[in-house]
Amino acid sequence: MHSPQVADFSINKPAEKCAMGKQAELTSIPIRKPEHRAAAGGRLWKELVKSRWGLFFISPFFLLYAIFGFYPLVYSFILAFTDWTGKGPLDFSGLANLNLILKDQVFWQAMRNGAILFFMYVPLQTFLALVLAVVLNSKRVRGFAFFRTLIFVPYVTNMVAAGYTFQLLLNQKYGVFNSFLSWFGFANVPWLDSVWGARASLCLLIVWAWLGYNMVIMLAGLQTIPNDYCEAALIDGASPIQAFFYVTIPLMRPVILFVVVLSTMGSFGLFAETISLFPSTFGSGPLNATVTPILAIYNQAFRNFRFGYAATMAYVYFAFIFVLTLFQVRYFGRDDESEGL
Amino acid sequence: MYSKLTILRLISLGLALALILPACAPGPAPTAEIREVVMTVEVTTIVEGTPQVVIQEVTATPEPLPVQAPKPEGRIVLWGWSYDVMESTGLLDDFNAEYPDIEVEIVTYNSGDTYQNLRLALSAGQGAADVVQVENSHLAGFVAMGGLADLTDQVAPLMDKMNQYKWKDAELDGKYYAVPWDSGPVVLYYRRDVFEQAGLPTNPDEVSQLVSSWDGYLEVCKTIKAETGLNCFANSKANNDARLYEIILWQQGLGYYNPDGQVTVDSPENVATLEKMSEFWSAGVTSEEVPWTDGWYAELQSLDEPVASIIEASWLGVFLKSWIAGDTAGRWGVAYMPAMQTGQPRASNDGGSTLVITEQSQNKEAAWAFIEFMLARRENQLKQFAFSDFLPALETTYDDHLFIEPDSFFGGQVARKIYLDVAMQIPIGYVYGPYYQLMHDHVSTAIQRYATGALSAEATLKEAATQIRQETGMP
Repeated sequence: MHSPQVADFSINKPAEKCAMGKQAELTSIPIRKPEHRAAAGGRLWKELVKSRWGLFFISPFFLLYAIFGFYPLVYSFILAFTDWTGKGPLDFSGLANLNLILKDQVFWQAMRNGAILFFMYVPLQTFLALVLAVVLNSKRVRGFAFFRTLIFVPYVTNMVAAGYTFQLLLNQKYGVFNSFLSWFGFANVPWLDSVWGARASLCLLIVWAWLGYNMVIMLAGLQTIPNDYCEAALIDGASPIQAFFYVTIPLMRPVILFVVVLSTMGSFGLFAETISLFPSTFGSGPLNATVTPILAIYNQAFRNFRFGYAATMAYVYFAFIFVLTLFQVRYFGRDDESEGL
Repeated sequence: MYSKLTILRLISLGLALALILPACAPGPAPTAEIREVVMTVEVTTIVEGTPQVVIQEVTATPEPLPVQAPKPEGRIVLWGWSYDVMESTGLLDDFNAEYPDIEVEIVTYNSGDTYQNLRLALSAGQGAADVVQVENSHLAGFVAMGGLADLTDQVAPLMDKMNQYKWKDAELDGKYYAVPWDSGPVVLYYRRDVFEQAGLPTNPDEVSQLVSSWDGYLEVCKTIKAETGLNCFANSKANNDARLYEIILWQQGLGYYNPDGQVTVDSPENVATLEKMSEFWSAGVTSEEVPWTDGWYAELQSLDEPVASIIEASWLGVFLKSWIAGDTAGRWGVAYMPAMQTGQPRASNDGGSTLVITEQSQNKEAAWAFIEFMLARRENQLKQFAFSDFLPALETTYDDHLFIEPDSFFGGQVARKIYLDVAMQIPIGYVYGPYYQLMHDHVSTAIQRYATGALSAEATLKEAATQIRQETGMP
């Protein structure tokens, strides 16, 4: 069957799933035989000249990427083997930085925090986003656009303003949250003043801010699924809940995977959220409870000015995220006919 | 023929003068002496077709220049967060009147952004402002990095006139790179109304007596808590920012390292200091509010449920008076901070700024004119002080009548006299240094660990010290 795919992360996808024929035609580069090699260079040049305007029009991206993407990538790799502090010549220190990372408590605390935060908010946020999307997608909801906008508004709200507001709401002594909770007998919850309170507060802010974004992706995914499947299931005697779990979710798997992969990188790369909520410790939170790898790298580079060390941290972090994402895509994104529809 | 020779002579003379004059013209100070210059000139004369070389002595006596050197001109950009004091007191207008050809552009960044922009601009080699405000806490780091203009000659006449401890972070290898602006003498601000409610004396002298040591202060705090239920001061456990701890270290001449450059974060003295601070937590007399957040402002400005005191530098005065707690005028008093043990210094420093000129600046003379005008002149420093409680680092201001004037915000107390007294006693501390930010961050976390009961003071400081030693390479 041709399942509608919004974002397809499956790796070994069957050939018939993508329009192979057409793609091949579009991107075909004629393969030259060896004896034509000398002529090939000339012909390549000819091709380039022929398509010079096309190349010219796509060049801005490549130029900008070369300057702001590729060059920093290469340069930070070089920096990773130095103890450069922002000025003066590069003194190479070999693998000393890597050795330091192994003993760096803040960095490993940051990695742990990324994992903890992932488990604290990603399942909740993904589930809520899917449920909201399904509700909004059903024909029974009136004012679809209004609710969609309402849920999306936090995403476009300035994070600094939001973080500041959450600080006020969550203040242990003066905050609205605690006055509200005190009616139910929970007095003085240390939202921002304890390790787990800080993490919970941060998750609250993240879910508030990112729920709309994830919901819109889910909604886009849902709208590509024909109603027939659900209707068929309902006619066959499935309850709406069963239809949701056994029809919608399997069909939505690529979209859910996409959202989860984004959220994984998001939870290790939290930055604006934690700085806005814990400005006095520059995002680190009580006892480093909310420091994330990206924040730790930023602090080393731009607060302690240890650019070389920060570059090493960045590459270690990149390797970790790369492997993690690969694992997620492989494990959860495999196209197993027996599991899906 | 003769006339030709004369012309040549005149040209030579002209050349000689041209060589001398520009060297005199942009003299930095009106002291440039004008001397008679004697030089030998080779004059080639052509007399009837045969070239002859005649060596002649030419005496060039240029017209005496006007005594006043030209004033520096150009545009200077300033980065920092405290220039509004200069604007509010009209000093900026005064400066423009004296130097009409200097255009001053102020770019206001908070301290974190200032340091980040300065660091990146120095690193990039371009884009830095001409004059930048740098706190003493971060100054040594920038001096060590390089890229600041050497001001050794300019500050030489100021060396004896400024607070001595302020020069420590400005110096590297005998050269000086910054001019002190204000000092941060630490005092105890206390609420007279709360003290009265608790049945304690409210007179500053008596309060100073009462809190002569940290133990005495603890007793006062307990009394306040028992009598009024109010907290004594803010010192968060889970979000501790280490500022009070640093103040107490500095008071004892301690810090994060010693004069030999060894990390002392886990020294017995530091551990004892942290344990002393924790007695206030055990007694339950502190609030959890984090400085510079709304809860902290709320308890400082509250009329019916305030925090009883705060130990902070004099620069807090202007903030209390204006935007933090303007409505509490008359309710505050200023006392000396407690000593570690009775009889020890009751003086410490927190913060305090300097101004630096960057090496990249195209208008260093104009930049220096600005700094000299604002920081090195008695009357201008006093204008800022009257407005802001930024205690001038310039000691020649200290005999002004401002220091004996009562301050209505502090209930008519002569508060500035205490600032002055404290400033003169501040010991040399080893809190600030090239690695201040890094050390501060690790120690803050260590204090949070200890305060929330995760680890003992010794263990947590040991861990912080290990991390600091690893990252800085200091012994």
